[in-house]
Amino acid sequence: MTDGGVVFDLGYRPHEGPRQGRMAVAWAVIRDGLRRVLGLRRRARRKVMPWGLISIALLPVLFFVAIGVVIGELAEDAELFGHAQYFDLTGAIALVFIALAGAELLVPDREHGTLAVYASRPLTTTDYLGARTAALAILVLGFLYIPHIVLYLGEAWVSSEGFGSYLGGHLDDLWQTAVASLAYFAAFAPIGMVVASVASRPAVAAGTLIGVVTISGPASAGLVDSGIDLGGLLALQHHPGVVKDWVMDANTHRWIPERAGMDPIVSLVVVGLVAAASAWFVLWRYRRLT
Amino acid sequence: MDHTVIETSGLRFAYGDIVALDGVDLHVPSGLTGLVGANGAGKTTLIKLLLGILSPAAGTAAVLGHPVPRAALEIRSRVGYMPEGPCLPPDQTAADFVGYSAELAGMSTRVARQRASDVLALVGLHEERFRPIGSFSTGMLQRTKLAQAIVHDPDLVLLDEPTAGLDPEGRDEMLGLVTRLEDFGIDALVSSHVLTDIEHTCSWVVMLDGGRVLRSGPLSELETSSEVEVELLDDPAPFAAALERAGATVVVEGRSVVVRHSEGDPFALVRDALVACDAGVRRLGSRRTSLEDIFLAKDGDAGEGGS
Repeated sequence: MTDGGVVFDLGYRPHEGPRQGRMAVAWAVIRDGLRRVLGLRRRARRKVMPWGLISIALLPVLFFVAIGVVIGELAEDAELFGHAQYFDLTGAIALVFIALAGAELLVPDREHGTLAVYASRPLTTTDYLGARTAALAILVLGFLYIPHIVLYLGEAWVSSEGFGSYLGGHLDDLWQTAVASLAYFAAFAPIGMVVASVASRPAVAAGTLIGVVTISGPASAGLVDSGIDLGGLLALQHHPGVVKDWVMDANTHRWIPERAGMDPIVSLVVVGLVAAASAWFVLWRYRRLT
Repeated sequence: MDHTVIETSGLRFAYGDIVALDGVDLHVPSGLTGLVGANGAGKTTLIKLLLGILSPAAGTAAVLGHPVPRAALEIRSRVGYMPEGPCLPPDQTAADFVGYSAELAGMSTRVARQRASDVLALVGLHEERFRPIGSFSTGMLQRTKLAQAIVHDPDLVLLDEPTAGLDPEGRDEMLGLVTRLEDFGIDALVSSHVLTDIEHTCSWVVMLDGGRVLRSGPLSELETSSEVEVELLDDPAPFAAALERAGATVVVEGRSVVVRHSEGDPFALVRDALVACDAGVRRLGSRRTSLEDIFLAKDGDAGEGGS
């Protein structure tokens, strides 16, 4: 024990250690994006929306599986809890989640001038946007996919085939839900990034994306019902559903593109083209900004 | 002054039809260098060109021996930048953001956190480092901006108007920090339109005017002039007349007489005139030229040329 402490002023110490490359820098941007969207190391009110939406997506399946594990079987007549049907819940909430996350990833850096700091660091505009998109992909795919993992494990737990046999025998569920999750991400996230790349406030960006995608459904239905089948291309909210049903060999809804007589491949192409055009626009916009 | 940190040749950049920089030739040595000029002189554009954020329309530039914009990423890993405008997220703590800034320069998370803590202590924000940046005063914001610019131990830091918006006390503290950079082994290019800031901190100065280099060189050389200033105890008119009779050009400012041009040694001329007039002297010496004088002289030349 000492009687008193001594404060040493170490002064400025040069950095003698290694400096990592662009991949490490991009990973730092990804981790910052994850923390920012989830409100980590931020005030409590910044955590409410993301964790509230995650809870809405995850809690129903957790309860369903928990009850099934307790009683020894999963209720087969609970239609919401099929893999294809559960996307009806998570797909709709994912739109809100993507709107909020996309806005949070891009808008504040412009709003607060932080882009100037990124511009002075060893990463390119493409690195920055790629890392932000990767952060969004990790979050959205996790948001959509984790409930299906829970459901898959729950089904295996109560299966009469035995846990290991069920897991091995139903691997299709895993890749099909993964591809369907990717379809929802590819359908909504690129448009969300476009809106976030031009909006002045996060709330404006989020509201615009939700509004545009939501209105696209009735607008497209109106055109299809009045005989303009090409209007089915505008059903932004329905294309990922079409792809999901196609991949999972399900028929959960009469989607608008289907009512217009379009094959599922058309929806896949529309999603791909919109994503490519969105990526080009965001890159063009940010190259002009920086 | 051991090595060159910035070198440009014929550098030109235009925003559409507006020429921001034209034919800029620079040779900036290590140490603290001031970049002065009025608003719109091209200071910020030059800094953005040096970082590779903008590409020159013509000419070449090299920073720390690396050509820009071709080696922009190598340069940015060894250069820090303190922007003039806001650049800090209000919802993050200073420790988090400065640490993140270090990671953006390639440091590991552990090292970045340690350096953020050290550098925030150096700029006087040790106690406040876990507060959200949104609660900071203007002076604290400027210190945080400086911290993020030096947290990755750069060889060179580009400071764009570091004293902008600060009160006199905050300005002195910021200039004190800037002066210490040389002790840390960090060269600095300090952009400012406040000439006295540069006079107090820098040893080399680059003066921009209308996108061109007005003067560039050691501050001591720019400040030295051949003029002699004499302040008298009494009416300076007889003394000024004696100097003019001896062939000197003089300017009378109150009780002071500035000998601007003379044949031979101006001090000998002053001595003889003082003896002839039997005048009492309060002060006598070489006149120190301020950066402001140089700018005013330029404006005067332009005015004369234009009339």
